[in-house]
Order: sequence, then C-alpha cells, then structure tokens
Amino acid sequence: MGALPSGWDLLMVTVLLTPISAAVLVGASRRVRLAEVATVVSAALVAIQAAGLMAGVVAEARLAAFGDFFSLDALGALILIPIAGVGLVTALYSVNYMRRQHERGIVDDRHLVRYYAGFNVFMLTMLVVPLANNTGLMWVAIEATTLVSVFLIMLYTTEGAIEAAWKYLIVATVGLSLALFGIVLFSYALSQASPSAASSGTAMDWTLMATYARSLDPAVVRVAYVFVLVGLGTKAGLAPMHTWLPDAHGEAPTPMSALLSGVLLNCAIYGILRFNIVASSTLGRGFPDALLIGLGLLSMGVAACSIYFSRDMKRMLAYSSVEHMGIISIAVGFGGLGLFAALLHIINHATAKPLMFFASGKVSQRYDTKVMADIRGVVRTMPLTAMLMLIGGLAMAGLPPFNIFLSELLVLTAGFGSGQIVATTLMMLFLALVFAGFLRHLVSMSFGSPKATGRVVPDLPLAGHGDSGPLAIVPMAILAVVVVVLGFYVPQPLQTLVHAAARVLGQGSTP
Amino acid sequence: MPSPSPAGWWVWSSTTFDGGDVETQPLEPDLLGLSAVALLIATFGVVLRRSLAGWVSAYRYQSLVLAVAAGVVGYSTGLLDIYVAAVLTLVVKVVVIPRLLVRLTSGLEGGLKVEANPYVSVRASLVASALLVALSYWVVQGTLGLRGLGHVAGAYLPVSVSLFFIGLLVMVSRRTALNQVVGLLVIENGLFLFTVSLTRGVSLAIEAGILADALVGVVIAASLLARMTRTFDTLDMTSLERLKDD
Repeated sequence: MGALPSGWDLLMVTVLLTPISAAVLVGASRRVRLAEVATVVSAALVAIQAAGLMAGVVAEARLAAFGDFFSLDALGALILIPIAGVGLVTALYSVNYMRRQHERGIVDDRHLVRYYAGFNVFMLTMLVVPLANNTGLMWVAIEATTLVSVFLIMLYTTEGAIEAAWKYLIVATVGLSLALFGIVLFSYALSQASPSAASSGTAMDWTLMATYARSLDPAVVRVAYVFVLVGLGTKAGLAPMHTWLPDAHGEAPTPMSALLSGVLLNCAIYGILRFNIVASSTLGRGFPDALLIGLGLLSMGVAACSIYFSRDMKRMLAYSSVEHMGIISIAVGFGGLGLFAALLHIINHATAKPLMFFASGKVSQRYDTKVMADIRGVVRTMPLTAMLMLIGGLAMAGLPPFNIFLSELLVLTAGFGSGQIVATTLMMLFLALVFAGFLRHLVSMSFGSPKATGRVVPDLPLAGHGDSGPLAIVPMAILAVVVVVLGFYVPQPLQTLVHAAARVLGQGSTP
Repeated sequence: MPSPSPAGWWVWSSTTFDGGDVETQPLEPDLLGLSAVALLIATFGVVLRRSLAGWVSAYRYQSLVLAVAAGVVGYSTGLLDIYVAAVLTLVVKVVVIPRLLVRLTSGLEGGLKVEANPYVSVRASLVASALLVALSYWVVQGTLGLRGLGHVAGAYLPVSVSLFFIGLLVMVSRRTALNQVVGLLVIENGLFLFTVSLTRGVSLAIEAGILADALVGVVIAASLLARMTRTFDTLDMTSLERLKDD
C-alpha cells in the first residue's frame, strides 16, 4: 500500500465510495422516495467522477492508486462510459418504471427499497471491474455482479423470474469458476517467468502479465486463455454458452435488463479483452483471434435465427445482445481497424440497447404483455415512445444514419481489409437476417390498429400514463440523441479515447 | 492441447521429489499423500450421500481436510498468508456455510427428503467419479504441460481438478436444485486447492473476496431454493423448463 492517494487517485476511490454510501443510505432509511433520490444523485455523481477520470486518463495515459492495485488506462476508461452513462439514465428511468410497477401491484415498498439498494451495489461491482488492476479482484467483482443481479431478478416472484435467476446463478457461476482456473494459470505463468513478481504478492496484476507477456510459457497461456475465454464468454453471452442470457434478460425488471445488456456484458467482454492482450502477445494473434472470430460468428448465427422467430419482445432484445457481443468479438479478432470498430461498437450497442429496453418496458406496461403478436399500433397509442422505439429499433437493425450502422460498416471494412473473406461474408449474411427479423417485429408492433389483435388494450387506469411519463421520456430521448449523433460523426474527445483504447488493445500485436 | 511432454512426465512420476526452487522447507511426502487421499474420500462422500444432511456433513469433512491441506502448503512455503487462508477456510467452510445451508433450507420439505431417482444412480456416479479422478491425473500430468512443479503442486493439483470434475458430475447427474449448490461448493473447494497449490495462494485480500462471494452465493441460492419450493412445490429441476423460445 502506498501513501494516501491524492488527485486522480482520490477520484478512483470516491467513485467507488459514492454507490456504497447510497446503498447504505437506502438500506438504513428504508424510505422509497429517499431511495429514488439517493440512487439518481449517486448515479449522477458517479457519472461526473467518471468523466473526471476519463479526462485524467487522456491527460496522463494511466492512473493508479494503492500501489498498482487499482489502475485505469484508456481501455478501462472506455468501459466506464457505458457503466456511468447508462447507469445514470437507467437510474432516472427506474423511478418512472418501478413506480408504475408499484401502481400495477407487481412490487411493494419493501421490494422497491431492495431494488434501489441492489441497484447501487450493482453499480459498485461493475465500477470495480475496469478499475481493478489485480485480475483476481476483477474476477471477484464480476462474480459479485452475478450475485447482485440474481438478487435483482429475484425481485419478481413469478415462476419465470425464479427459473431465470436460478439458471443464471448456476450457469454463470460454473462459467466464472472456469475463468478463475484460467486466471490462476495466467498468474502461475507470470510467477514462472518472473519469480520476483510472485513473491511480492502481485502475481495477479494485469500490468505485470502484459509486461512479461512475451516470456510466459506459451503452453500454459494457451490453456489459460481457453479457460478464460469460455468462462468470461459465458458471462458475456457468447454462444454456445449463452443459454442463460435470454431467460435472465427477459425476466429481469426492465431497467435491470438494460443494465445487464448494455453494461454488464461489456464488463465481461472487457475481461476477455484484457487477457486477449496478454495471450496474443505470448502466442501471436493467430490462435486467440481464430477463437474470437469462431465464437463471434456462432453467436451471431444463433442470435440472428432466434431474433427472426422471437415472440417475446424482451427475449428478442436479449438475443440481439448475443448478436452484438458476437460482432464485438469478431471485430477484435479481425484486428487493426477492427479494434477501433469493436470499441466504438461497445459504446454504440450500449446506447441503442438500453433505449430499446426502456421503450419495450413502457410499451409492455401499456399493453400489459411482452408478446409481440399482441402489440399493435404503438404509434397511435403512445406516439412519443413509438418514435423513440423506432429510432432504437432501426439502429439495432443496422440502418443508416444511426450509430450501429457506422460501427458495423467499420467492422466489415476491417474484415475485408484483413483478408478474412469467409468470416466477413458470413457476418454480412447474419446481419441481413437480423435486419429482416428486427424490421418485421418493429413494423408489426408500431403500426396497424391497436385493436387488430382482438386483445383489449387496457384503458388508462391512471392519469398520465397514455404515453410514457416525462421521467421515462427524458432518459430515452437522451439515448436517442446519442444514437443519432454518433451515427453522423464521432466527437473528437470520444474519438481520442477510443483510439487510445484501441492502442492498448493492440499492444499485444505490435512488435 | 499440447502433446504430453516427456519432461513433465518424468518430474511427475518420479518418486524422488526434486522440488526445485519451489519448495523452501523439506516435507514428509506421506502427509501430502495422506491429505490428498483424504480429500478424495471426502469428495466420494458427497457423491454417495443422498440427503441434504449427508451432503452438508460430507462437505464439512471435505472443507476440514482442505483447510489442513492449505495448512500443509503454508508450512512448506512458510507464507503467513496461506496459514490465514487456511484458518479462513476453516471458519467459513467448516462452520458458517454448513450452518447457513442447514438453517436456510430448514423449511424445505422437498429438499430434505432422500432423493428418489437421480438421473445417474449412485453406484454409476461412484464409478464415474473414479474415472474422473484418473482423468484428472492424466490431464494434469500429461496434457496441461505444467513443468517444474514442486511436490506440493504435484500432490494437490490432480486432486483439485478431480474436485472440479466431480462437482460438475454432482450438478448434472441429479434431479434436485440442491445438488447444483452442493456441486458448486465442491467446485469452489477445487478452485481453492488449485489456487493455493499452484500459486502459493493469491494475495489474502483476493482469497477473502472469493470466500465472500461463495458465502453470499450460498445465501442467495438458499433463498432462491426457498422461493422455488413455495412456487413450484418441488426442487425437481424438470419443473424449471418453462422459459423457451417458441
């Protein structure tokens, strides 16, 4: 432990203390209104501090606190954007959405207090992931995200929620056990290559693994990387380990689905990227890249078919997350421009997917169903929400001028550029299938007569719920603006950060 | 997977323990061998039992041996951290987790009943476990390509991998949700042994974090089990097949 942290280092500590304090406050007071305010304020403070940390990373390239126990480089700072940004809009949206669930009698006051306490702990565990330099701590944080999110899914006591929570707990924990085997093997390889590192108790530090990457035993690293990829790939929802994901993301309270899809998956992908840097430095890019492209294509294929034939709106969005995690890992596998594209895609997916979840949450509250066949004419019943949903949906389908189109185009360019013709062609095929699937569902839900299904749309039982309330519209509108703006151009500060992060990501392959 | 390395084989199968630079103090190999065998026996106990009380006592026994094994590693490396980790294991896994499991599931009639018809019979699971142990020795010694291991890692690594495999077997071969928790706990014990014997323990803070995750995991799993019995009136996994895409 070094001296007391100061300046940027202090910010790394306070950004973690903020959600802890909020969680304690919520747990101690047990008052719903206070919990709502504390959560939104805490999320806003986290966002401000995260912005400060990003500025720090741009200025100093790398921040560290407590020796090297916590550290933040451009790659970590990039992952902070979805955690802090999506965290803030989700906190806002939660207030509206969970109040409505309360009015509908789905949750009571006790549930709400538990929800907001869990929300803050969930934010804390996700914030630790990019800040931890010790890969063991990163693992502990990722496993903790599983436990907290299982707790949050359990908030609903329906059969579906219990089944989903159980599957998620078991599958993710077994997967993460595999990942820990891999991480320990990486640490063992490091202690073999540099015995001095092992004796000082830093044998799990990522910076040391990256420094000594070239002298690690390739045989051990190869096995270790496979373990980490399968383990964290389970948590990131890469096929064929994705089976828990549609259940968990489908049954969770909708704001949680947005956080799970838009933020948590990225934390898992981030872990994979860290070890990918080390492994591709030790083994060369061939083996790690081939694995990433293979798993990515499989994820896209599985997801594309499932999206086309989905019936449940939230399950469709969950499969779309599997697809996008696939795109990200393919892009990393392509290397070069693909690294930039992958990181940009992380941001783009993290804005469009929560937007879609938010809109779907309001629509299913209005129509009292998640079954897409029973939802018609959203444009007429909730015009504002419908417009925002169309922006998100068309972005997800990969249409210009939205942000996802831009990064997908970059990925395809990187693919053809790196000579991976077969993989890129397959990817285009899957993208076309996803496009068809998304558009099919989007059009049928948005247009037509609300009465066409023969199902009675419940009258507005409470005033002000015709369209979504302002507290729901504002977060959706913020995300929609980002989705549109990022479709035209990437602002300079973001571009700088993504480029710096891509350099970190590519450091394994540069000789 | 790399091909079996002849050098690795020699180090592993030789009876003269040339620990190289890994060991700092000489150690009676008998103690290592004995504790490794005791761990395997405890693991077979988990496979053999058919009720919650049985699993909990087998798990407690396994964790006790595990703590002793960690103490052995602590003695051979002379690291204080590992002694502390051994004591933590003793407290959390021998006392706290078994008590929690019994207390939190005391209301579950379905869970405490003797399991009627597992997917794989107890006898077959036992044979499978024996084969998995053999597989673990083969994996660690032959294919993992770990060279230059000391005799502590030599004795415990294959056992830790067996714990992982057998934990998985317990999870998939039985019908009740309770088995999945027991299987996970066995896997977690395997992970602990793997970490301690291969890397001389990661730093104590991380070890404590892993234990805390396990503890919270048990609490969450137990409360989910309670909900499951209330909602489905059974812990049979076949009732958890409602969510699908059609």
